[in-house]
Amino acid sequence: MTTTSAGDLETAELAGEHASAVELVAGRSPTQIAFERLRKDKVAVVCFTIVMLLVLLAILAPVITNAMNIYWDIQDPNAPNPSEVINFDGYPLIGPPDHGFIWSHPLGLAPRVGTDNLAFVLYGLRTSLIVATIATILTTIIGIVLGLLAGFSRGWLDRLLSFTIDLFLTLPYLLVALAVAPIIVSRFRNNVNDLGKVQAASLILILVAFGWMGLARLIRGQVLSLREREFILAAEVIGVPTRKVLFKELLPNLVAPIVVATSLALPGFVAAEAGLSFLGLGLTGIPSLGKMISDATRYYSDYPLYLWVPVSVVAILVLTLNLLGDSIRDAFDPKTRE
Amino acid sequence: MRLRKPIVALSTAGLLALAACGGGSSDSGSTDTSKDVNKDTLGNTGNGQDPTAEGPVTIPGAQKGGTVTVLTSTGLTTPIDPSDLYYTDTNGIMTSLVTRSLTQYRYDEKTKQMILVPDIATDLGTPNSDYTSWTFTIRDGVKWETGDPVTADDVAFGISRGMDNKTFPNGPGLYYSNPYFATGDTYKGPYTDKGKLCTCVTVDGNKITIKMSKPFPDLPYYASFPAMGPIPQDKSISDPAKYRQHPMSTGPYKIKEYTPAKTLVLERNDQWDPATDPARTAYPDAYNFKAGQDLEKTDQILLADTGEGQTTLTYDDVLAQDYRKFKENGRIVLGGSPCTYFISPDYRKIKDKEVRQAIAWAYPYKDAILAGGLIPDVTAIPASQLMPPGIPGRETYNAVPGHGDFETDPEKAKQLLQQSGNEGFEIKFLWRTDNPINTQTKDVLIKALEKAGFKATAVPTTEAKYVEDRDDVNSDINYRTYGWCSDWPSGATWIPPIFQSTDLKTVGFGTNEAGFNEPAIDQKINDVFSLDADKQPAAWQALENEVMTKYFPIVPQYYTGVAQAHGSKINGHFDDNTLGTPTFRNIWISQ
Repeated sequence: MTTTSAGDLETAELAGEHASAVELVAGRSPTQIAFERLRKDKVAVVCFTIVMLLVLLAILAPVITNAMNIYWDIQDPNAPNPSEVINFDGYPLIGPPDHGFIWSHPLGLAPRVGTDNLAFVLYGLRTSLIVATIATILTTIIGIVLGLLAGFSRGWLDRLLSFTIDLFLTLPYLLVALAVAPIIVSRFRNNVNDLGKVQAASLILILVAFGWMGLARLIRGQVLSLREREFILAAEVIGVPTRKVLFKELLPNLVAPIVVATSLALPGFVAAEAGLSFLGLGLTGIPSLGKMISDATRYYSDYPLYLWVPVSVVAILVLTLNLLGDSIRDAFDPKTRE
Repeated sequence: MRLRKPIVALSTAGLLALAACGGGSSDSGSTDTSKDVNKDTLGNTGNGQDPTAEGPVTIPGAQKGGTVTVLTSTGLTTPIDPSDLYYTDTNGIMTSLVTRSLTQYRYDEKTKQMILVPDIATDLGTPNSDYTSWTFTIRDGVKWETGDPVTADDVAFGISRGMDNKTFPNGPGLYYSNPYFATGDTYKGPYTDKGKLCTCVTVDGNKITIKMSKPFPDLPYYASFPAMGPIPQDKSISDPAKYRQHPMSTGPYKIKEYTPAKTLVLERNDQWDPATDPARTAYPDAYNFKAGQDLEKTDQILLADTGEGQTTLTYDDVLAQDYRKFKENGRIVLGGSPCTYFISPDYRKIKDKEVRQAIAWAYPYKDAILAGGLIPDVTAIPASQLMPPGIPGRETYNAVPGHGDFETDPEKAKQLLQQSGNEGFEIKFLWRTDNPINTQTKDVLIKALEKAGFKATAVPTTEAKYVEDRDDVNSDINYRTYGWCSDWPSGATWIPPIFQSTDLKTVGFGTNEAGFNEPAIDQKINDVFSLDADKQPAAWQALENEVMTKYFPIVPQYYTGVAQAHGSKINGHFDDNTLGTPTFRNIWISQ
C-alpha cells in the first residue's frame, strides 16, 4: 500500500474511538474495511446482485435476442414486417393487449411497428448503462482534477475554478440541454454515418457538462480541510513536489467521498438519460428506455404493459443503484460505524 | 388543391363518401377494415349538378342554437383572405360558413355526394358554344355583413383581385384565373397594376360575363372557390393587409375573432337571408375553431363526450389506436377525400420503366401505412391509378401487369431489375431525422427495397427543410413522395398538374414532382383541352392510361380517406368529399 500516511491517520482516529478494536482492524486499509462491511450489508448484497444481473442482461442482449429470435430493429431482415404482426389500428395481432401471453414475445410487441418489447428493453438497458457509465467516468475525472486544483491552489486559480463551478450550477440544466442538443445535431444532419455518434456524444456531453460540479465542490472542500493537516504540511516542508502531494498524499484520502459520489451519480445519469430521451434529445435509431416510455404513454389506456416494462426497468435500475450507493456511503463513512 | 392535415406519416388530406355511422357490424377483434369505406364512390364529387336549386334549405327535425367547437392540430395556419385561399381546411370552413361564391356544393344524404348548386349566382352559369365565355346572373337579396347589397361589380372586383399573384401568391388564381381568363397572362391584378380591373370580366346590370383565353368547360366548379366571389370595392376595407384579418362575410356567420394558427370565432351574420341560399342551413348560433390542438387530447375529449365535448367535432383523422373505440360508439365519419399519394421516381435519373415498375412491386404498402400510423383501407385506401374513383370518365386499368391492391412482391421486383440489367439500382430518398415516425417508415422502406434487390440510401434532412429539399430539382435524391388533391372532379385537375412538363431551370418541378417530360404527352394534354366538354372526361382517362402504361412515371401508393370524430350532440356531420372536411353547411346541435 502506498497509502501509509492516510492509513495511519485513519487507523489512529479509529484507535481513539474503539480502542478494543485495534487488534481486529490492524493492518487493513479503510477501503478493505468498507468492503468487509458491505459484504455484511444485506441490502447492499441484494442490490449488487440485481445490478450485476441487469448488467449481465445488457451485455448478453445480442445473445438473448438471437436465441429467442426477437428484434428491436424493424430494418433487420429477419424481423417480422409490420403488416404481419400489426392490426389495422396499430395494436399487435399476437400477444398483449388483445390476446394472451405468448412465449415467443414474453413482453409483447410494440404497437404500430411490431418490434419486440423485450429486445428493445435489453438494448435500451445497454444504451442506458453505457451512456451512464461513460458520463460517470468523465464527470469523476473532471470533478477530481478541478476539485483538487481548486482546493490546493489558493488564490486566483481557486477563485476562477470556484466561479466556473458556480456558473455551471446556475445554468438551467434542462433549458440548456433542450437548446443545445438540436444545434449540435443540426450541424451534422447531412452525414448519416456520423449522426448517431454525434447524438451520442452530445448526449454524454450534456450529461457531463452538468454533472461534474457536485464532485468538484466536494473534493475542493475536502482538500481545503486536509491541506492544513500535519502530514501535508510535513510533505511540503521536506520538499515533496506539488504533483506528488496532490496524487500521493491527498488523493488517497479522498477515496471514500469519490466512491460515494460516483455510486450515487450513476443512477442519476441513468434517470437523466431516460429523461432526456423522453424529451426527444435521445439517439436516432438507437433503442432507449426513455424513448420507449415516451412512445408508450399514448397507448397507456389500452396497452399498459408497453409502458410498465420500461418504467419498471428504469425504476429497478435506479432504485438498486441508489440503495447500493447509500450502502457504500455508510460503509465508507467512519461516523456511521457502530 | 393543397392540403392541411397533421403530420402523422406523410401528411394527408381529404374528400367524402360514406358518412353514415359504421353500419351494424362492429366486431371488435376484426382485422378487416376493407368494408369500412365504400371505395366505389371515393372521389364521387359533384357528379351531380343542380342548376335550379333554391333556398331556403331546412333539415327535418334540426334544432337551432348552440355553439359548435371544432378542434384541429394543424389547421388555420394558411391564409383566409378569399383571394389567397387554396387549402382544403380553410376552403371548407370559409365557403361553408362565411364567404359566398358564384357556385357551391350541397351535401345529398341519399347519394352521400356533394352536388354543385348555385350560390350568389342564380344558376350554374351560361357558356357560349365553345366554353370561352361564361355569364352568371347575381341574385337579389345577397348582402354584406354591413347590410350593403352585393353587386355584380363586387364580384368582378373579387375575380380581378384573385388574379394578383404577386399580392396573393398562395391563391388558386395563379393556376386557373390567369391561365384561362382572357388577358390573364399580362394582367397583374388591381394592386400590382395600380387599380386596373381585368378586361376579361364585364358587368351588365346584375349580369357578369367572364371571357376565356381557351375553352374552360369546368368553370362552374372553379366558381365555387372563394377567389371567385365578391370583395368590397372600398379600398379601405379590402386592403390586403387588413382584409386577411377580417374577410367580410356574405354567408350565415361573420368573423368575431381570428388569430392565425390559434382561434377563429364565428358569430351569426343577421344580414344573411336563407331564402337566397340553396345549400347553407346555419342552425348553430356560433362556431369556435381551436387550432394547434394535441391529437391525443382531441381524441380523449371526443371519447369522453362530456360537457363541451358533446358539441365538439374535429376534421383531423382520429389516431389509429382510437379508431376501434370510435367505431364502437358510432361517432365517427368515414369517407373519401379527393387525394392520391404517389411515389415520383426522378424521370431524369431513373430512366428504365422496369425500375419504376420494380418499385411498385417492392414498395411495402401495408407496412409503411401501419408504421406511419394510418389505417389501411380507411385513411389509406389501395390505389393503382392516379385519379381516384368517382372522377368522371374514370376507368380501371392495370399499368403494372398482375399487380394487386397493396401487393408487395420482392421476387417480381427482383426479376424486373434483373431483366433490365439494373440489379442493385440505388434509390436515394429523404429521411427526416427529427421525425421519429418517419425514421421508422424509413427503416421499413429500406428493408423492403433491399429485399427486392435495390440499394437503398436515406438522405438526411429535417422536418423544417423537408419540403424545400424535396422540391429542389438539384437534390441528390431520385425518389420523392407527393400527394395531390383534385380541385374538382375532372381529369383536368389531375393530368396536367402531374404529367405536364415544366421548365426545371426556371420554375422547378411545379407539381410534376417526377420531372416527367415527354413532348408527345404535352401535346396530347393540349389536344384534350380543345375537345368538346363532353368528350374530355374519357379523353383524360385515356391519356392517363397511355402515360401510365407506356411510361409509368409515378407509383401510386394510396388514396386518402377521412375518419373524423364528433360529440354526441353534433348532427349533420358528414364527409364533404370535395375537400375531405366536415359538411359544415349541414351541422346542427341537438338541445
